[in-house]
Amino acid sequence: MDRVYRVGIDEVPKRLTLKEAEELRLVFVVMPGISADVPFDISIEREGVKLEIYGLYLCPRSEQVNFRVRVRHLVGGSTSTQLFKGIAGGSARVGFDGLIYIAPDAQKTKAFQENHTLLLSDSALIDSRPQLEIYADDVECSHGATTGSLNPEELFYMRSRGIPEELARRIQIHSFISPVLKYLPEEYRRQILARL
Amino acid sequence: MKNVQDIIPAVTQHEYREGFVTDIQQEFVPKGLNEEIIRTISSLKGEPQWLLDFRLDAFSRWKKMTPPSWGHLSRLPKIDFQDIIYYAAPKKDSDRPKEIDPALQETFDKLGIPVGEREVLAGVKPRESVAVDAVFDSVSVSTTFRKTLAEKGIIFCSFSEAVREHPELVRKYLASVVPVGDNFYAALNSAVFSDGSFCYIPKGVKCPMDLSSYFRINASGTGQFERTLIIADEGSSVSYMEGCTAPMRDENQLHAAVVEIIVEKDADVRYSTVQNWYPGDAQGRGGILNLVTKRGLCKEGAHLSWTQVETGSAITWKYPSTVLQGDGSTSEFYSVALTNNWQQADTGTKMIHLGRNTRSRIVSKGISAGHSENSYRGLVRMGKGAFGARNFSRCDSLLIGSTCGAHTFPVIQNFNNTSLVEHEATTSRISEDQLFYCNQRGIGPEDAVGLIVNGYAREVLQRLPMEFAVEAQKLLAVNLEGSVG
Repeated sequence: MDRVYRVGIDEVPKRLTLKEAEELRLVFVVMPGISADVPFDISIEREGVKLEIYGLYLCPRSEQVNFRVRVRHLVGGSTSTQLFKGIAGGSARVGFDGLIYIAPDAQKTKAFQENHTLLLSDSALIDSRPQLEIYADDVECSHGATTGSLNPEELFYMRSRGIPEELARRIQIHSFISPVLKYLPEEYRRQILARL
Repeated sequence: MKNVQDIIPAVTQHEYREGFVTDIQQEFVPKGLNEEIIRTISSLKGEPQWLLDFRLDAFSRWKKMTPPSWGHLSRLPKIDFQDIIYYAAPKKDSDRPKEIDPALQETFDKLGIPVGEREVLAGVKPRESVAVDAVFDSVSVSTTFRKTLAEKGIIFCSFSEAVREHPELVRKYLASVVPVGDNFYAALNSAVFSDGSFCYIPKGVKCPMDLSSYFRINASGTGQFERTLIIADEGSSVSYMEGCTAPMRDENQLHAAVVEIIVEKDADVRYSTVQNWYPGDAQGRGGILNLVTKRGLCKEGAHLSWTQVETGSAITWKYPSTVLQGDGSTSEFYSVALTNNWQQADTGTKMIHLGRNTRSRIVSKGISAGHSENSYRGLVRMGKGAFGARNFSRCDSLLIGSTCGAHTFPVIQNFNNTSLVEHEATTSRISEDQLFYCNQRGIGPEDAVGLIVNGYAREVLQRLPMEFAVEAQKLLAVNLEGSVG
């Protein structure tokens, strides 16, 4: 089941407990102009849960967005995937503080977490804390985080093929956010693309 | 066939080889910490007034500070700082003022540390090996090859001697990288530090041999407060190694060191540690509390590399850090941290990028077994002026058995949009498949674990100087004895 939350507009739950073996996809989106602190704590208490969490935050001006995500695997045999993508421009401050917790004996858990942020201005700030706390050995767990700016070689490639710089940058940003964008309803997607 | 559950305990339980006590007459200052004790330590070491003022200033700051509690260390006992002897030194015989006490000589021989130069001078070893500064409790007992090094203008001596003979250098650089009030334990160290190594490599000199410090805690009820200062002047290079051991005791002993490294323009420093303090027994009694501040400062084009193998200590709290101040400076951090039984380690690094085009690389390999906890904690910070800076971090954890914990707490702060930071981490375990594969080919279960662990840690072990690499490999294998799973 998909649940989409527009932070600052929809009501976002702070805490969630999964007691049934279900497949759940949560998508958080922070539209430009919105500042928010998003604490989110989810506990998995049943094996067979397949959880996907996606986050997209667009902060082109002076927004302050901070995600604090806790994914707790209290029993084994479940899978969680997290992908958070953000863009920081202007004097925005974006933070991602994510923790995967795997309880003792929560064996056969698979948990993955990724956070990628684009830094588009020299006065924006990124603070990323992807964390793992693991107490079981038979698990598959990884996290990754990157921060950086648009790749100049890609830009050059497109420009040398006659794509104007403005458009080329939009394409780069579009492709950067598309792994999350694709889980948003058509209407939100259009709103976001119009504001790139 | 033995199954994994039986093999792991077998591999992780072993005897601590270095756990003996040297029976030697020692002099102590009374227990406790106050201004009087600090004055006593300072006068015992014959220090000038400025250094005493430095200590007293540190002490007054320390009194206002509280111990940090953010580490992932549930077993860090409350330390009673009034219940520690802050200075212990082997007594010097008046008839042998120059020579090293035979009992000490024997101790270091037993530990395999060459505190005498005879072997090399007699041509037993094919090449000059390592210059050693041996520190026993609170004092340095011997520094070898000083003459050979002095010919090149290199100063390598104990910290106390440096204060006497090169006060201008010590005064200039002391606390320039780790300020007195940097943190609780650094302030404590600044107030009561006893001895450590001092090393100065002049401009353009490549140090002809590896320099090494060996720290030994012997006396009971004491703490060791090592202070090391390494200065590599413009264009020079040096490889520096550090080792440490302590006797087996049921009490916790405190080791709070401060290491400062200044890497001037285009200089190159390699700093390697094999830390093998007593880790406590299988029930988690005793062991060294290793609470250490290590930091280096890189000027333009300089390079600093940290390599550490952490196998000992009941508690490790240690974050060797580099401030990449100069443009184009580079730093690396390679670490293997192994925890077994009830050990806890919270270790990692900080890479502070300030200059343009600075580069850093972090490779951390954690191995947890038994009931231990092993955390990587790191900071990568790209400052406003870090144009074109890059960092790559990789933190892997290996869990052996289902009662241990492995954690990763990285922090990435990016203030500059032309810099690039990448971080990745994974966890894995030694699987039955891997063990079966080895067993099937005639490799016993314990050797198989040793093999897998060494393969896992290889990227880091390769970075160690020869002598250390061999020791480190053995240590990893031995420390895992009784833990296969």
